[in-house]
Amino acid sequence: MASIVRTLRPVAFRLSARSSQAAAPSWRGASASVRAFSVSRAVQEKKYTKDHEWVELSDDKKTGTIGISEYAAHALGDVVYVELPTIPMEVAAGDSIGAVESVKSASDINSPISCTITAVNDLLEEKPGSINKGPEDESSAGGWVAKIEVNDVGVKDLEGLMSAAEYREFTEE
Amino acid sequence: MSPSRGFSLIVGATRHRSAIKLGIRRPGVRCLSGFAETATNPANKTQVYLSRSTDPYLNLSIEHFLLQKTPADSTVLFLYTNRPCIVIGRNQNPWLEVNLGLLNQAADIALVRRRSGGGTVFHDEGNVNYSVICATDVFNRDKHAEMVVRALQKLGVDRAKVNCRHDIVLQPAGDHEKPLKISGSAYKLTRMRSLHHGTCLLSSPNIGTISNYLRSPAKPYIKARGVDSVSSPIANANVSNEKFERAVMSEFKAMYGGDAATEVHEDVRLVPEVVKGESELRSLDWVYSQTPQFTFSSCPTEEDSRPRPQLPVDIPSKSHISFTARNGNIGHIEIGAAEGSRAWANTNLDQQLHAIEDWSQVVGMAGRSTAESSAISQWLNNLFGKVKGGP
Repeated sequence: MASIVRTLRPVAFRLSARSSQAAAPSWRGASASVRAFSVSRAVQEKKYTKDHEWVELSDDKKTGTIGISEYAAHALGDVVYVELPTIPMEVAAGDSIGAVESVKSASDINSPISCTITAVNDLLEEKPGSINKGPEDESSAGGWVAKIEVNDVGVKDLEGLMSAAEYREFTEE
Repeated sequence: MSPSRGFSLIVGATRHRSAIKLGIRRPGVRCLSGFAETATNPANKTQVYLSRSTDPYLNLSIEHFLLQKTPADSTVLFLYTNRPCIVIGRNQNPWLEVNLGLLNQAADIALVRRRSGGGTVFHDEGNVNYSVICATDVFNRDKHAEMVVRALQKLGVDRAKVNCRHDIVLQPAGDHEKPLKISGSAYKLTRMRSLHHGTCLLSSPNIGTISNYLRSPAKPYIKARGVDSVSSPIANANVSNEKFERAVMSEFKAMYGGDAATEVHEDVRLVPEVVKGESELRSLDWVYSQTPQFTFSSCPTEEDSRPRPQLPVDIPSKSHISFTARNGNIGHIEIGAAEGSRAWANTNLDQQLHAIEDWSQVVGMAGRSTAESSAISQWLNNLFGKVKGGP
């Protein structure tokens, strides 16, 4: 049952989003007709989960990058192996997409939002320490985890996530 | 704080109640629902289970079920003892960690890959495993190792202590002796729930021979991604399994309260998720093909310049063989007569390493059915634990 709901929802959102974009291409117009987009001004801003992952979407909100936070990378200690997902992989927010091993612990990496994983950072398998050095670095030498494709459900998932400032406050608690 | 009380009270009290409840829907599966319903009941904030199975695959599957299905804010203790087995960490390489030839000769020792991190350990009937599952928010690497240390100390094992690797060691009596490891820890952290499990050597009869199984003849030739084991001198705590179980349950109860333990028997296989998990753990795909990428090379290379042990005398000294395996699958393989010479074989093999029964099939592929290739095959069979002895 739940899976049926999941397959129907993206279609519904895609339709409403498309019609609203046709009518009013600006974010303001979209937010007026589709509640889900009321925070679209902040969409390209990097967002964080309580589980210490981050996601950053491109300007068109179709693609993005995910990874683990500086805070998490520090808390994990020396990462000795990163288990990456096989691609492509369709996931819901909170689903496990791989794991990092450090200090005898296999810790799941969870997807911050619903998305399709389209590429993984192969560097992490070869040099797992890269995730300690630059977990929020999106460059080819960085410690980002995966590239993603996003639909409207994924964009809506962003609403529940924290801004950098909110996340900082959360981790300082 | 009476240890014997907790133990003698092990009964399926909740099992009875839930069996009636579930019996309305599925009268045929009453026993199983006791375990599954007790474990998943949101009211059960503290849960204690004692497995009566010694099957390592089943016990690890029950443990994973508890990690995934128990209430988000519950704390769970699970105690189990396995028949002899070697358990490698999630991201380890069996060809590197284990003497597979020796393991194959001892037909009754299982090879297991667990879901938690860390290194390779040996289990047998003289070893009790403890496992504590709690909310990830309150997870701490030492908290429950300390709990086990308190249990051991109450049983008279005064020198037990948690070390910096989160293992439990016996502190040496003298200044010049080394601490001896009696318990190793490993962890699995998921979004909501985290698991800490550890071994505890109590009266293992295999203490003297364990290290032989954990020494792979292929190790000098393999450069692997993933996790290395750190070998430590080990010892038994010299207490009985029953006393240890009672003492740990008593310490757990002192921390979290809760009722008596529930025994888990092999009929827990009636729970579909448990059977599914067990068959996954048993599959050769999980045990072997989940190995992180590695390269085998009989000679020093740019990437792996370690000097290699001398090849057997019947193999020409200039022979070399190298391959890379990804997901346990041999891709590119090179078999050559002399360094720098034209290889006998230089091809994409696309074959699972664990599925190669006899290396002569692979080496023979090079098109030279000579004494040389037979010597090389035999050497590889020995390294990867395939055919014993040989002609």
